[in-house]
Parts: sequence; C-alpha cells; structure tokens
Amino acid sequence: MIGWLHLAALVLYGAAAVLMWISFARGAERLSTAASLLLAAALVVHTVALALFTARWRELPLVGLGPSLSTLAYLVGLGTLIAATVGHARTVGLVLLPVVVVLVGVSAAEGLFPAGEAAAFQSVWFVLHVVFAFVGYVGLTVAFAAGLMYLLQFRELKSKRFGAIFRFFPPLETLDHLGRSGILIGFPFLTLAVLVGWAWTTRFQGVTAPGNPKLVWVFLSWCVFIAALLARTGGGRRGHRGAVASVAGFVIVVVFYLVLRVQSSHGGVFL
Amino acid sequence: MSIVVVGLNHRTAPVDLREQLAFGRSEVPAALAELVAPGLAAEAVLLSTCNRTEFYLALEDTAAGEAAGRALLAGRAGLAPAEMGRHLYVHRDRAAVEHLFRVTAGVDSMILGEPQIQGQVKEAYQLALATRSSAGPVVGTVLNRLFQSALRAGGRVRSETELGLGAASVSSAAVELAKKIFGSLQGRNALVVGAGEMSEITVDCLKREGVRRCLVANRTEARAKELAERVGGQPIEWDGIGAALARVDIVVCSTAAPRPVLRGEQVRAALPGGARRPLCIVDIAIPRDVEPEVGREPNVFLYNIDDLQSIVDTNLGRRRDELPRAEALIAEGLDEFWSWYASLAVVPTIRALRDHGEALRQEELEKALRRLAHLAPEDRAAVEALTRALLNKLLHAPTVRLREAAGNGRGTAVLDLVRYLYELDHGAPAEDAPPREPL
Repeated sequence: MIGWLHLAALVLYGAAAVLMWISFARGAERLSTAASLLLAAALVVHTVALALFTARWRELPLVGLGPSLSTLAYLVGLGTLIAATVGHARTVGLVLLPVVVVLVGVSAAEGLFPAGEAAAFQSVWFVLHVVFAFVGYVGLTVAFAAGLMYLLQFRELKSKRFGAIFRFFPPLETLDHLGRSGILIGFPFLTLAVLVGWAWTTRFQGVTAPGNPKLVWVFLSWCVFIAALLARTGGGRRGHRGAVASVAGFVIVVVFYLVLRVQSSHGGVFL
Repeated sequence: MSIVVVGLNHRTAPVDLREQLAFGRSEVPAALAELVAPGLAAEAVLLSTCNRTEFYLALEDTAAGEAAGRALLAGRAGLAPAEMGRHLYVHRDRAAVEHLFRVTAGVDSMILGEPQIQGQVKEAYQLALATRSSAGPVVGTVLNRLFQSALRAGGRVRSETELGLGAASVSSAAVELAKKIFGSLQGRNALVVGAGEMSEITVDCLKREGVRRCLVANRTEARAKELAERVGGQPIEWDGIGAALARVDIVVCSTAAPRPVLRGEQVRAALPGGARRPLCIVDIAIPRDVEPEVGREPNVFLYNIDDLQSIVDTNLGRRRDELPRAEALIAEGLDEFWSWYASLAVVPTIRALRDHGEALRQEELEKALRRLAHLAPEDRAAVEALTRALLNKLLHAPTVRLREAAGNGRGTAVLDLVRYLYELDHGAPAEDAPPREPL
C-alpha cells in the first residue's frame, strides 16, 4: 500500500512536471495552473504515504536512502507549491518539479523500508537535526531554481529576445526575491541542523572525526550558504551575483554529496 | 419582437465622425428615452466608445425603430440620412446578437482582444438599466438577457483563451517590459525625457500600474511643467537628467532631438560602479534618444521602438492564433441565447393551449359535477384534482416539444400545426405572432 501510494505520488509529480514543460513549450499559462493542481494532489498522496510509513514502522521516514529522499522530495514539492502560491512564481516548478521527480524516483527505486538503525536515530535530537537540515536544503534548492531562472530571464531581457522564457518565466524581481527568501530561510535552519547534529553526535557517538564525510559535506553546505548571502551584499548587480552563487552553490553541494557518497564506506546512512 | 443593432465603428466611419457621435455618459439617458417610445423601440441600450457608437434595440416594428435610430445618429452628426447611411451598419436578429457577442469578447475591436471593451459594454448595459423613458424602463426581458449572455461569453473568452494576453500597443509593451524586470510597478519611480504625446501615453500607462513618482525633463521647461501637471508628475531641469538616473527605476525617452540625449559616459558618470538596482530605459524616439552602448552597462536594460514593436507583433500573432477558440466560445454563448430567445415566441401559443385545455376542463367538470350532485365535498375535490392532473399530463409533452422546436429551428411549422390542431386561432387572431427570424 505504502509503495503503491508512493508510486502514485511519483506519477502525479511526473505528470505535473510534464504539464509544466508543455505549458512552457506552448506558451499556454493556463496549463501551469493545472500543473500546480496536480502537484497539490501529488503532495496529498505523498503525505498519506509518509503517514502510513510512520504508522506502520513506528518511525519517521528520515533514515535510509529511500525514506529520507522521499521526505526531502516531499519538502521540495511543498516548497514548490509555496513558491507558486505565496511567491507568485508558479513556473519555478519548471526546474523544481523535475528535481522532485528524480528524488522520488530514486527513493522508489531504493524502496520505502525502515533502515533498522539504532535507537539513537529515533531520538528527538536526530529528528530535529534531519528536519532542520532538510528545510535548509529545500531553501537552497528553491534558491537554485530561482537563480537559474533569474540568469536565463536576465539574459533574455538583456539580449532583447522576447521568446518563451521572456513570456513564461516570472519577472526578475520576483525570482530575486524568491532566491533571497530561499537562502534567508535555509541558512538558519541549516545552522540549527549543524548545532543539533553536533549535540546529537556528542551524546550518542562521542566526538566525530574531522574527516567524517558527513561533517565535510555539512560544512561545505554551510559555506555555500554563507557565500550566497555574501554575494547579495554590497553594490552593483546583487541579484545577478546572488543568482550565480545560488546556482553554483547548489551544484557544488550536489556534486560533493555524490562524490562523498561513492567514496564513503558508510553509504547507507550518509544522508 | 426583433433585435436590431444600428451603429458605426472604426471600420465604417472616420475618426472625426466617430468623435461627433460619441455620447457622453450624461447624454445617454436622453438618447435612449427618445428611442424607447410607443411605435418605436421597446427596449434600447447605447454603447458609445471612442471606436464605436451602437444602438441595440428590441422592437416590434423593425422599420420604424431602425429609422428612429438612424435619424438620431444623423441628427447628431448633422448629416443627411443618405450620407449618414454610408457609414452605418444595421444587423438584425441573429446577426445583431452575434455582433454584440463579438464586440463584447473583443473580437471586433480595432486591437484584437483589447480588454476595455468588456467593461464598456457592461457600463452601457448598467446605464441603460438605470434609465427610464416615458414608456417605462428602457431595458426589458430581451436586452437584459442578451447583455448578460454577451458579458458572460466575453468573460469566458477572456478567462479561457489567451486572446487578451500580452501588450498590444507600444506603450503597453513598455509597461510589459518594465514589469518583466520589476514585477509590480507599484511604488516605482520614473523619469520621462521629452514631453510629446508618446511620452504622455506611456506615462499614463505607467501611472495606471502604480508608478509613484514621475520626473519630467524637457528642453523647453514650460512644456515639462505642462506635462508634469497633466500626469501628476514633477518637472526637473534638463541638466538634472544625469542626477535623476540614480533615483529612478524606469526612464522613458521620447524627444524629437536629432542626436542622442542620453550618452554612455553620461550614464556611467551618473551611476558610478554600475546601477545598484535594475534600470529600465525605454527609448521610443526616432531618431533614437539613447546611445546603444548604454544598454551594455550592467543592470541597465535598454529597449528601442523596434524592440517594443516586435513584442506587440508577437503578441498580436498569438492573439490571432487564439481566435478560433474565442469564436467557438462565442458560438456556444450565441446558441444558448438564441434557444432562449426563440422559445419566447412559443410562449403565447403554450399559454393559449393551456387556456384552451383549462376552459374545456372547467366546462366538462361542471357538467360532470352537476350529474354527480350526491358526491361529498372531498369526492368532488378528488374529481377536480383528477381532471387537473389529466390535463397537466396531456399538455406536458406538447409544451416541452414546442419549446424544443423553437430552439431547433422547426418552430414555425410546429406552431402552425398546434394552433391548427387545437383551433387556437379560431374566432380570434393569434395573441402575438412569433418572431419571424428566430424560428
């Protein structure tokens, strides 16, 4: 049942992504509204799937690659919906929805099963650490999507090409605001995640080795946020610099994650 | 009852004639009251915009009503009826209804899909609703339903197609560009260089979008002051343009200067280190007012008249692509209205049929009850209820079929047959003949 619901959510996310891209290709904005409705439906199904997982296995879907990626995908989907409604940037789903589809797809391929890890992973500290970190990464993902679209729209406006991107993408100011919000919301959450993670590690595992890939990755992520924040200070093209920093930062974080995961001997519990 | 539209528009009349025939809001009630009178129109609505003046009439005597409409327009224009006739069009019944639906949807507008017309039709309808002539209200059942249906269909065209999307004029293209940079223009500041007509039109568009402060610069200071007064802006000195660049978000240039008035070095000097926030410069002058190298400055977005025109052309092309879908929605609304309108014609026949049946029922019931005098009151009531139920059941199918026939174009034949079969015309002329065209 949980697996089927998860697959149903994947299909709905996929349909929303396809519809969003068709909407972009045809320049038919009304289709993007339908894509947002499909996204909302996917989130409802996904919520039920995650709730059933929690009820059945008596643990939150935060440990193990399948469950944790599913939760991360759920939060990115939620972020997409919030960006569409509160942020007035419905078409940001053009970038975010494929990200959600990939995350849910990998999660479905891995399977939604409990990791059977130690009780330490079920403590409140651990739950807070993961949830805070996920919200932080959702902020970075939204900033990445907004930044990428900002750069494309900026190029379109500068080069006076009034094509599909000009018509379909949100205004520069909206994208800049969304990207800034992603970083400003994500940064404190990631910082909290680091602090809570440090406390949790000290409590259950003693002092962590400085070369621990998880620590390296989190530190790198934190630096990326700092860089994205610094890029938005000072004069000149702040919005442009912020967009470049968000896009580059996201790519660095993802690439480093993949590299570290491949190299890590503790791959199963890395995320 | 027929529906007629008498009027002229941008395709049939030159602008000076359209100006003469444009009715101010305060003039409309008198014009409507003049037409809605015994022997002329039963109902009337006047739609008067800068591109069209049209009387929509519901009338019994088509010729008299039309003539009155023509005479009223000719009199206002000071033209002989024959000369006026060259500029007028008259559509009757279904063609008149279709015309209103197309007008309301923006399909008949000078700029395809322009959004104002729907509000103007609504305003004309509401004004007519509030108007009374010596014969009573000037809007009755027919025009009431007609305008509501047209507005509904127009609303569907607007919401279900992209006929009205995108800028369709140079000034609105400038606004569209600025909005693609800033999102909302609420609270933004603008600088207008030049005090010509195009500047004024563009500033009006920007003001409507919520631009807070408008600085106006012109070589002739008096003209800058005049324009600033008209648009609620603030005049500045010609030499103050450079300093103003750092304080504004949007610059509109439209001077008649033979050489650029905004040069690269001037912008660089005004914005040392580049603009801290985006600066949108719209140059609608020919020859251009802004040196092209200004557009290469970081955070500066420079557009000239060709750029704006290409946006307009693209948008109009997209609107034309949406026409078939808009036409389909119009046809749907038109059919729906026409079914209702055609069914009006069968109402007198249905009423006559029921009156005929009721008279027969009463007659036979009276006879029967005389013979059944011994019945208790409750039994008499049961007999009466029985006859009423029988009559209703017998007339139900013919009533439904008559309404259907009215809607599907077979009304005349079916009406004739029913009136013949039940002798509804026997001894007295028909209460009112059905409209010719609808059936």
